[in-house]
Amino acid sequence: MRTSSLIAWTVWKALFLRETVARLSARRAAWVWILLEPLAQLIFLNVLFGVVLQRLISGIDGGLFISTGVLGFSVARNTAMRLKDAIHANATLLTYRQVLPVDTVLVRAALEAVVFMVSALFLFTGLGLLGYQVIPHDFLQVMLAFAALWLAGIGLGLILSVVSQLIPAVGKVAEMVFLPLYFLSGVMHPASAIPPAYQSWFLLNPFVHGIETVRTGFFPQYYTIPGVSMGYLLGFAMFTVCLGLALHVRFATRLVAQ
Amino acid sequence: MIIVDEVYKRYRTDHGVGKWVLQGVSFTIPPKVNVGLVGRNGAGKSTLLGLIGGTDTPTRGRVERRCRVSWPMGFGGGLQGSLTGRQNAKFVCRIHGHEADLPDRLRYIEDFAELGEAFDEPIKTYSSGMKSRLQFGLSLAFDFDVYISDEVTSTGDARFKEKAAAAFKTLADRAGLIMVSHGEGTLKEFCTAGIWLHEGRAYWFDSINDALKEYKKCPNP
Repeated sequence: MRTSSLIAWTVWKALFLRETVARLSARRAAWVWILLEPLAQLIFLNVLFGVVLQRLISGIDGGLFISTGVLGFSVARNTAMRLKDAIHANATLLTYRQVLPVDTVLVRAALEAVVFMVSALFLFTGLGLLGYQVIPHDFLQVMLAFAALWLAGIGLGLILSVVSQLIPAVGKVAEMVFLPLYFLSGVMHPASAIPPAYQSWFLLNPFVHGIETVRTGFFPQYYTIPGVSMGYLLGFAMFTVCLGLALHVRFATRLVAQ
Repeated sequence: MIIVDEVYKRYRTDHGVGKWVLQGVSFTIPPKVNVGLVGRNGAGKSTLLGLIGGTDTPTRGRVERRCRVSWPMGFGGGLQGSLTGRQNAKFVCRIHGHEADLPDRLRYIEDFAELGEAFDEPIKTYSSGMKSRLQFGLSLAFDFDVYISDEVTSTGDARFKEKAAAAFKTLADRAGLIMVSHGEGTLKEFCTAGIWLHEGRAYWFDSINDALKEYKKCPNP
């Protein structure tokens, strides 16, 4: 007899390979797009804002500034959105009682982390070869902030995966909400550009805390606004992860019997 | 041994809770006994197979499996459309803990299914006959104590049917079998005991012939 933890482990390994294959063979040269998609977005934003930003924040390169913002936001958003569809994409595999709905979601989270690391490495290597100063001054803090953003994405994804499976309209709404969130997370401007009167509202968004922490870790001379805290983001991540897992336990039966 | 104890099952539909499909079903299947499930369409045969196979949970009551039970085989379930036959086969091998002897199992599945080059094509390009060949090969590649089959013998072309029937026969001798089939001959060939599902209840018969007799006697079959 195999133990429950051993079964879970083999299921995760098998699902991880299944997800990787699907991701890499989704369309022609899919792996190229995994690398090029963030790059295309960055080039576009750089052309738009690079010059403006140069004047806005002295001593910090506009390109690197936007890169950190886009990467920080997209690791949270991509994780949440990918996880949201995990159960639906693996519905046929729930025929096997070894596979639980939550397995499909957690495995996608792991794959998202790998994809993020590969594309970030590719991006920073490229920028480094172009002569940018790509070594962060506090590497650990940058990694920690990205990890916290990823965790927040997992929390949201876990919740959305259950809710959108039970009420499909919620999934569509979540997708729409992420678009304005892009502009409200300080991806393209520093938090200090927000007027002090509105900063307390701005700081309600947990992603702001992660993205600003990435930047203070990256640029030694970057000044953020008071009130930015990793504790807030990590608290949000913990809360959503716990709530998401609880929803998975509560609705385990209904998620399988579709 | 499989114990089904006071199982109730109903589904949630788009407009609230559906009617009871199973109402207080209890029986015990002893080891190495082949059981045929009979009942009219919609009597809850596939539901019961799902509950026994553990892919679904009862609304009330309890199902206990004291042996290795297969997943419910048949009806194109359990195959991921975007992956190839080989990738699907690998997946099923892995989740059943056969990472070490993966190549052997794969060769067996490939040989049995006889899909040729299509084995490396995505499942969504398969015909229903090809799918059932693969499913049949998959289910035979593992050593279960009890196999659950949902009309799995009635698919495929004439030659494959023959081969499947022969494989099924050796399976029925080696392990237990719980099957649904509308073919009376198939049931009589493979099963000794029978369960008749009628109006949410299950009636156990030690002989499949008695179960079929009762099923046909019912005025609203």
